[in-house]
Amino acid sequence: MNRIWLLALGVAAGFGIAFAASHFAYGALPGSPSTQQLARFGEAFKRVRDGYLVKPEDRKLVEGAIGGMLSDLDAHSSYFDPRTYEAMQTKAAGAYGGVGLVVMVKDGVASVVQPIPGTPAGRAGVKTDDILVAIDGVAMKGHSLDDVSARLRGTIGTAVALTVARAAAKPFDLKLTREAIEVERLTWHREGDVGYIKIVAFSDRTDPDLRLAVAALKRQIGPSLKGFVIDIRDNGGGVLQAAIDVSDDFLDAGEIVSVRGRGKDDVERYDAHYGDIAGGKPVVLLINGGTASASEIVAGALQDHHRATVMGTLSFGKGSVQSIIPLDNGAGGALHMTTARYYTPAGRSIQVTGIVPDIVVSGGPNAPDYEREEELPHHLLAQGPPARPLGKPIEPAAGRSYDDFQLAMALALLHKTLAVGPGAPDHA
Amino acid sequence: MKNIAFLGIGAAAGFVVALGILPAAHGANDLSTYRQLDLFTDAFERVRANYVRPVEDSVLIDAAIEGMVSNLDPHSSYMDAKAFADMQIQTKGEFGGIGIEVTMENGLVKIISPIDNTPGAKAGLKAGDYIAAINGQSVQGLNLNDAIDRMRGAAGTKITLTILRTGEKSAPKKPFDVTLTRAVVAVDEVRWHREGDVGYIRMPGFNENTSGGLETAVRDLKRQIGPGLKGYILDLRNNPGGLLDQAVRVSDDMLTSGEVVSTRGRHPDDTQRYDASPGDITDGKPVIVLINAGTASASEIVAGALQDHHRATILGMTSFGKGSVQTILPLSEGGGALRLTTARYYTPSGHSIQAQGIIPDVPVAEGDEDDVPKIARPSEADLPGHLAGEPVAKKTQTIVRPPANAPKNGADGKPYDFQLVYALQLLHGKVAAASPPAAN
Repeated sequence: MNRIWLLALGVAAGFGIAFAASHFAYGALPGSPSTQQLARFGEAFKRVRDGYLVKPEDRKLVEGAIGGMLSDLDAHSSYFDPRTYEAMQTKAAGAYGGVGLVVMVKDGVASVVQPIPGTPAGRAGVKTDDILVAIDGVAMKGHSLDDVSARLRGTIGTAVALTVARAAAKPFDLKLTREAIEVERLTWHREGDVGYIKIVAFSDRTDPDLRLAVAALKRQIGPSLKGFVIDIRDNGGGVLQAAIDVSDDFLDAGEIVSVRGRGKDDVERYDAHYGDIAGGKPVVLLINGGTASASEIVAGALQDHHRATVMGTLSFGKGSVQSIIPLDNGAGGALHMTTARYYTPAGRSIQVTGIVPDIVVSGGPNAPDYEREEELPHHLLAQGPPARPLGKPIEPAAGRSYDDFQLAMALALLHKTLAVGPGAPDHA
Repeated sequence: MKNIAFLGIGAAAGFVVALGILPAAHGANDLSTYRQLDLFTDAFERVRANYVRPVEDSVLIDAAIEGMVSNLDPHSSYMDAKAFADMQIQTKGEFGGIGIEVTMENGLVKIISPIDNTPGAKAGLKAGDYIAAINGQSVQGLNLNDAIDRMRGAAGTKITLTILRTGEKSAPKKPFDVTLTRAVVAVDEVRWHREGDVGYIRMPGFNENTSGGLETAVRDLKRQIGPGLKGYILDLRNNPGGLLDQAVRVSDDMLTSGEVVSTRGRHPDDTQRYDASPGDITDGKPVIVLINAGTASASEIVAGALQDHHRATILGMTSFGKGSVQTILPLSEGGGALRLTTARYYTPSGHSIQAQGIIPDVPVAEGDEDDVPKIARPSEADLPGHLAGEPVAKKTQTIVRPPANAPKNGADGKPYDFQLVYALQLLHGKVAAASPPAAN
């Protein structure tokens, strides 16, 4: 790439100095709108550099600028400065660790959902509802969940400084050393003649674990096996390939998901291969407002192919794909930027719309009030026709209480004792 | 990647030019400046080319400038062209609006108080009301500034607010709509009334009308109370500041000589001193200044100046601690403006207020404010990226608290104001300053 920067300082009446920047790499000519905008940045950069209370580091100014530009794009785009990016890169090397926090972001504030017992955060006494004010001195207000998580993770043995605010106390600092955190793996058990499998996140281990679970359940339950309940409630997503593999496990053919970028030809399709590990047995997929991203791909694919009955409440609605784009070969950090959207096989965008369950079943009186993608500040807007209306949820009968009402309804559907929805006996 | 840089410098009258002429390979610092700018250009081009949908260049650059500036400290920011125009209206002290002070709570806009004689007050809006929608559009997902923006508009235009009223037994259970006609609302107007033989003056902010307002208030109070006037209470609680020159004038109104404040910037020759001129509009009568954790910036200049010159007794709680000066630097041709921290200010005795705040001579608590979570009302030292303060010897103080049997409401039906009650008692000699300022 050939690039020429021309910075000329001249007199701008009344204001001192204006920058004119020319930039030829992408065919922008001097005086073109893009060049004028770069010049505007140049002027601001210079004014800050000369006028600020203390001499600022150029590096800090530019990191702030790139960060501001990225996080203004949408709720999931952000900038990883060189230090953060370097810490993240060790993920590939395998020596990747964390502090053991389940975090959520609401109204631009990052807070602790749960510290995992036995992890650095758990031992340091981090508590549910603690607010993460800053990580390594960077204020977290307005940062996306992806960004907060990425900053918490890093090489095992490295330290991360948290500024934590708890209810009525002054914020305090904690220094934690990252450790290998055992990602919770898929769990399964039999529910009578139904196989129940819970996938908490999509990782490289999800697909092999799922195959083992299905095989074991088939063996345990034997020929009376009625079907499977796959529980992806509160599954915030994870590795795209794992979601594709999991969908493929139940599908014989056809598209699973397409990823479409900005250009017309910028489309990647992922197709299913022959073979259904469940042998065509009925599948009920449980979703809720915490079902996001990769999980919504699975729900969308199995729903569009009528391979599973999707049950529960409306999913989160994160239908965007973020790419990591290193700058200056990583020496300049990396852009974590939305570059594409997911579409289900029927061509529906998941963004904001989410996955509408085939059978809407209430999470019960104690279900949390999930924040949805559309509530995130400057979220990417929905595309395409609106989803079909959500309809009235099935609620637990008055006076009856359930450990897990949605699971109970899923089992009822598989036992054909639920009086609504596809495949149910029509005596409603 | 091959990069060539040319930095040429033209004449810049009256301006210190920090960037030197930069040949391709020069000093490490300059080279690094160039590399950093190149990094930014690279990021800009990547976003232009690869973001999921096209975004206007100007939007990207606005966000970049905002990100660069707001990363410096909590008070530096960027105003795009529209925000800059709005700010100029704000500092003039008038705009078309409905006259309510608002905050954000639970994702809704909450009314702190309707301002007297404004459309909001006339329409019966009450403190504690929530605004759920503006012109039928939900406020969910808006930030406070966006919401305020939507409520403002030309005088004479109509606006419909959807109000949620809770707390009152008789309150409607369901949200209801109120349609108001916007009017020119004077913001941050100085208000005053007599408290018996004491003149009470409330200063909610510092705009172009503030010192004029103070002078009017003092004249009127002298006329109302007459020769029995015991003194004045200047209420700067929750006053977030405003224009520096107004703070200087307000201080000068009560001082006859000496320094009011000095500002010191990056370079030694940036120091500016503001001095008092002869004349005290309050004729040397006792003055009590009320402050609390919401007293910031220009308010702290007034409190600091009157404290250091022993012209007033400062009563209340330690102030916010914003001792930095922001200068508005307009960018060329409609490019908005930077609000940039360019200096710190120092009280006449040379103390920087930054992160330390003004410590009251007579510490008096409002009520249970110590139980209010710090997050709800942060002080400067709590803000991420705040400028560090300069060390000052700490004073240990005993805080006077309201008695347990203090009434909820005062005789006038308004919430009981213990700090004001204490200030009045102090002026009447009924209490002694409980904790005289310890010598440093």
